[in-house]
Amino acid sequence: MAKKLLRTSPSSSNKFNSANMTDDFQLHLDSSDDDAPEEVTFEESKASALRSMKNALETSKREKDLLKEKRRKRQEMFQEQKKRRLLPAHILEEIDTAPSKKQKLPRDQAESNHEEAYCSWEEGREGSKEGYEKETKKGFKGNIRRLKGNYSVMRVADQSSTNSQQQTAMDFIQARLYGPGSQRTTNNEVLSLQNKRGPNKSAAMQFVNKKWGTEKKAKAEKLKKQWIQKRKVPSS
Amino acid sequence: MGEFKVHRVRFFDYMPTAIRAMAFNAHTERLALGRMDGSVEIFNFADRYFQEKVIPGKDSRSIEALCWVGGRLFSAGLNGEITEYDLENLRPKYSLEAYGGPIWTITSNSQGAHLAIGCEDGTVKLFEVLEESIQFERNLDRQKGRIISLSWHPSGTQIAAGMMDMIRVFDVPTGELKTAMLLVDRGFGGSKSRETVVWSVVFLSDYTIISGDSAGKVQVWDGHTGTLVKTHLVTKWDVLALSDESSVVVGTSEGTVIQFQFIAPTLQQQQDKEWVRTRTFKNHTHDVRALAEIETAIVSGGMDTQLVVRPLLEKFDERSHASALRKIQFPHRNLVFCAKKAGLLLFQFPGQLELWRLGESDGHVLFLCDICLQGEDHICCSALSSCGGWLAYSTMSSVRLYRLQTDNNDISISKVPKLPKILRSAHQLCFSSDSSKLFAASSQSSVLVIALSQSECKYVHTLKPKSGQQPIHLMTNSVDGKWLATANSDCEIHVYNVQKLKLHCIVPVYGSCPSAMGIHPTTNNLTMVHADQQIFEYSIVEKQYTDWSRKLQKQGLHNLWLDRDTPVTHVTFNPKNPEQILLHDMHMFCIIDQSLPLPDQKTQFYNQMTLRSLSEQERPSHLHAFKICKTFQDLLSVSLLDDQSLVMVERPLLAITCQLPAPVRQKKFAT
Repeated sequence: MAKKLLRTSPSSSNKFNSANMTDDFQLHLDSSDDDAPEEVTFEESKASALRSMKNALETSKREKDLLKEKRRKRQEMFQEQKKRRLLPAHILEEIDTAPSKKQKLPRDQAESNHEEAYCSWEEGREGSKEGYEKETKKGFKGNIRRLKGNYSVMRVADQSSTNSQQQTAMDFIQARLYGPGSQRTTNNEVLSLQNKRGPNKSAAMQFVNKKWGTEKKAKAEKLKKQWIQKRKVPSS
Repeated sequence: MGEFKVHRVRFFDYMPTAIRAMAFNAHTERLALGRMDGSVEIFNFADRYFQEKVIPGKDSRSIEALCWVGGRLFSAGLNGEITEYDLENLRPKYSLEAYGGPIWTITSNSQGAHLAIGCEDGTVKLFEVLEESIQFERNLDRQKGRIISLSWHPSGTQIAAGMMDMIRVFDVPTGELKTAMLLVDRGFGGSKSRETVVWSVVFLSDYTIISGDSAGKVQVWDGHTGTLVKTHLVTKWDVLALSDESSVVVGTSEGTVIQFQFIAPTLQQQQDKEWVRTRTFKNHTHDVRALAEIETAIVSGGMDTQLVVRPLLEKFDERSHASALRKIQFPHRNLVFCAKKAGLLLFQFPGQLELWRLGESDGHVLFLCDICLQGEDHICCSALSSCGGWLAYSTMSSVRLYRLQTDNNDISISKVPKLPKILRSAHQLCFSSDSSKLFAASSQSSVLVIALSQSECKYVHTLKPKSGQQPIHLMTNSVDGKWLATANSDCEIHVYNVQKLKLHCIVPVYGSCPSAMGIHPTTNNLTMVHADQQIFEYSIVEKQYTDWSRKLQKQGLHNLWLDRDTPVTHVTFNPKNPEQILLHDMHMFCIIDQSLPLPDQKTQFYNQMTLRSLSEQERPSHLHAFKICKTFQDLLSVSLLDDQSLVMVERPLLAITCQLPAPVRQKKFAT
């Protein structure tokens, strides 16, 4: 046994040897219960542990593959169903011609449908700009036809024209310049530092400039009031 | 001078757009500037950096790079299209889909025969420049990464392309790669895991390639062998732009602009020349994304929306206005329109218009309405009639006219449905003072006259100049409704007789472009202020310059007036005092009193404070015609309402800085 412990052979040969040894091990177990427990070498147990791990990995991989297969089959089935559910070719043609006919309308009429400006107005509210609320009333938007069933036809031009490639490119630039690892700070901080290091030293931007971060300040005020209210109510 | 009540307006949320690309045309001395919202601006560098033309943007248009081929301007953007612009009609001539995905860069070779674009899919596409269009010629060998930057060798036989982590050199006639590949190191520290983006490359005539990348390095390579000659670590952040002429100029994310020159580093013996970092300029607070080097200056622009022209002092012999640092922050045209009789203000944004009413005595302001454009085009120009009853705006594809009815605090706005078909789009719009006519500046310096009435609007006539190619950028009409004056980018000023509907006279052409014009209500004198700060007064009735104008030219304007660096954008008059002319630029508001003597070079120019301290008897001897007030800063517009109150529309630069995107974090000592 000691000799086997000291052996520094590569793992594959080790496993091979241990395979033989565990066979012996099994035979020994089968032989009798009264014998002293067999000493298991480190390599053996290591080998068996490795094997069991390998088996476990293999089984999990097999399971994953099976799941993948299943999912693929389901996906294919759905595609088939979708194809079957699509309208037959002649109805699609009809839909194609109908929107193109609409495009031949005189330009003015089409414009009044699509590009109508939508206005909002204020009902006699005086006050500074921060106080007003804008009401927007949306005009007739887009050219949506409703057919029988659950289908609706819309012009491609009405959809956003940024296709996925353009979006990926814009995301790339945004991520490189402003994404993680770009070490950006806020305008507030830069201006506050200028205040701090300038010839006339003054406080940070949000304290010097009353209008800075009005939303945050308003929110803080609101929370403060709520907290005071809460404190008053239990005590009173 | 008189006393005026002042409405100080600071709620115009004007937000300029960041500068993305620029290109300088050395022949015509014009700089083309591309902004992030797709708009293109042309600045005339020979004429005090005046903003001659503005082509408004569009939601779907994106500009990543600009390039000039002769007198033609091309742009390419992330929507995958190459666009050529018609600079005489201020619109895109055509757009060509390149079918390579988003386009990152466009560049022309020095012969002006070919355009190369770098695409997202890794191809460099060559286009042949034809008479009226461009045509696809071929692709060079397709690469595995996106092509971010390109640079032609001056001979036109090789192109260097900056990609992710490497620079490749193509042989143009065969389209193949040259064998040497230049590998760019990744940065130090944390950025080792990210690829280095070579944001810009420059290919010099001695086959040296200079590259700027996202690790903050400027590297000098030998183009023949593909070996690195020198690395300069310039910044911790990205090096975003490079430009070359006689020297190499580098722009970084920190806002610094660094110049490298090819000189011998020390004075000893005959040392070899190499690229040495010489100057650093810190004129920007945010990333510098576009650079151009002109003969005597470095022009830079970036995310802080300012165009900075930094003259190189070694090229100047003496200090003058040409050698001073110039920052162009506001557009050189009006974005605020005022209805004098009704006290209404119209604010023009790219995608909407806002209408406000100014309160009478209590200083309150009422927000009336907000007209949003539905559609992709941005607004070219807009106008408000002085009675406040009509509003018009124009985009590149259409003109809209609205009828306004305001009673006390309510407003009703209705669109005028059928406009004359000839009114497609206008470069400038103007209402006559009695609101009976609308003047629309259209192509070839002509003006369309549209008659307005309660029920309909009718096309009356087209006023055509004898010769005029360039678009009109200024239009003004007289209070009595008889005269209309227009100015175009060729510095031609035409005066038309509106009642007879024909050309009355042409003002003698002065070398500089007019930046503001106004017709006096009683004397019908046309006052013109040019981009080089010269002032002229021309009598329309007599068809000659007035005596006051001749006197002013003979004496010459004061040096401090001529040294101002922002152009005058609005000229208006005081009905109660016919001697006064009110004008303003970004930093000052001035009343010129024609009854007072003109200042000569020795008099103190800004003398308002001194006058206040003098006694009543001493004052008259020290008065001069130019009364300048600097209380109001960052002015966008100054107008005088009929009730003798001044409206000052200010847009503090600090408020614009607050809304810019994030700058880089710079660790400064003791903070």
